[in-house]
Amino acid sequence: MKPHFLFPYWFRYLGWGLVIAHVPISIIGRFNGMTNPADNPTAGTALFSGQHLFFMGTSLLMAFGLFLVAFAKERIEDEQIWHVRLESLRWAIYVNYLVLIISLIFINDTGHLLYLNLWVPLIFFIIRFRWVIFRINRSARLEG
Amino acid sequence: MKNNIRVERAIKNITQGELAEQVGVSRQTINSMESNKYVPSTILALKIARVFGKPLEQVFMLEDGD
Repeated sequence: MKPHFLFPYWFRYLGWGLVIAHVPISIIGRFNGMTNPADNPTAGTALFSGQHLFFMGTSLLMAFGLFLVAFAKERIEDEQIWHVRLESLRWAIYVNYLVLIISLIFINDTGHLLYLNLWVPLIFFIIRFRWVIFRINRSARLEG
Repeated sequence: MKNNIRVERAIKNITQGELAEQVGVSRQTINSMESNKYVPSTILALKIARVFGKPLEQVFMLEDGD
């Protein structure tokens, strides 16, 4: 099976690097008054204001990092991995829409909903995918 | 779907890793198939049967519920 539209294996490390790098940058920004524009609508309404650019930059850093981690090839990308990948994507979409629908019904805050939608499917996909692969590897180690 | 991969592998005296290499998958995938946790694609099933030099139905067989 030839994997299409996946990043090379080492991109996962680049992805984790971006995700980790976004944490201290966000914390430092927060201490300097750079919050999510949805938290502070008066300061963050202007498009491409400093606050908006900072929020956009850190969010994209995290989302792009998670994207690289989620869609980097495995060392041996065979059909079982492909199967697990598709199953995990399906579960990620289910969870994302469940969270979105519940939030839409019970929370009157569209600013944070967009932010939630940015990382929930990727985080859930990565956790579910890695967990199933961990179980497959453990089973191969114990039985093989 | 059941399979005789473990038996056929013992007859041919090859390891999971060697079979995996010959059919182009990971050792974990061979192990999942032997444990009946993963049903291979037709292409992979045909490749495995070819390594053992046997018809497909002698390596893979349908179960009642299939």
